[in-house]
Amino acid sequence: MGVEPGDMPALDGNAAAGLLSELFALDVTVAHFTCAGCGAEGELGGARVYGGTMGAIFRCIACDGVVLRLVRTPAGLWLDMQGTRKLVVPVGS
Amino acid sequence: MTDNIAAAPARLRWLTAEVVELIEETPRAKSLMLSIPGWSRHRPGQHVDVRLTAEDGYQAQRSYSIASAPEADHVMLTVDRIEEGEVSPYLTRDVQVGDRFELRGPIGGYFVWTAAVGGPLFLVAGGSGIAPLMAMLRHRAAAKATMPAVLLYSSRIFEDIIYREELDALATRGDGLQVVHTLTRGHPAAWAGQTRRIDRDMLASDGIAAGERPKIFICGPTPLVESAARSLQELGHEPGLIRTERFGPTGG
Repeated sequence: MGVEPGDMPALDGNAAAGLLSELFALDVTVAHFTCAGCGAEGELGGARVYGGTMGAIFRCIACDGVVLRLVRTPAGLWLDMQGTRKLVVPVGS
Repeated sequence: MTDNIAAAPARLRWLTAEVVELIEETPRAKSLMLSIPGWSRHRPGQHVDVRLTAEDGYQAQRSYSIASAPEADHVMLTVDRIEEGEVSPYLTRDVQVGDRFELRGPIGGYFVWTAAVGGPLFLVAGGSGIAPLMAMLRHRAAAKATMPAVLLYSSRIFEDIIYREELDALATRGDGLQVVHTLTRGHPAAWAGQTRRIDRDMLASDGIAAGERPKIFICGPTPLVESAARSLQELGHEPGLIRTERFGPTGG
């Protein structure tokens, strides 16, 4: 990816909602994730995000570990979620 | 805090927006009133992605907050000009009524407040970060809501205050809204507002106390957002009640 903290200011996960919507049928910025690295929980919209319209890296607020990567490549949308142990998407009743 | 749900499908289509009116807000900021066939009603705080395509096919994409209330006839975007930007110079200088461009939205359910969520509502804005918070205040007024609300709004100079007259009008409705301005780079002689950057003391003296458990939304340049969020936590506000939206490298 080559995009690391320090290269550019972080955004909020909310800023990547448009990119996420290209893959997910539901708005996952309001989903609660559990970080595979440290076990912390948070909302994806509140995670630190690095990147722009071509791709985004979501990092855990607590440990700065990568919880999700989504990149638009010539081959298609490329998703890496090995840093997320669990994702809970509230869908109402 | 807001029991956000993702039930509504997030799948977005690119739509064509037509500019129906332009408003010079400040020397640097312009509001675009848009007519967007196929638009679904947004929630205050949401944004859109704007995509411009050059004749050679090159595309540039940026996100802009929606400044209008869901109740309004047109969608308003307020754009701050960044001289070296790829998109904002067009949207603030070259754009004409009748122009069309692509956008998708409304996007994002995280930085959202509606009157149904309730209050108190504590808003902190820097510069054009006022836009999504203005959508919340316009919606609050349109919904005739009366929960306590405070807007703490930092601008550089008086002439840079976006929506100044409308904010004055909203604050004199007597419906529980208080607007506090601060100017960081000079102020008129008769200025009654604050005159420094937003800091912990200001958030404590002019904001809503942590004991009231206000819903907090902060939007603006990254340093302002991070410092305000940190100060509010130091003042005892729960992190889960604080929502932030930073301007980042894609602003432009």
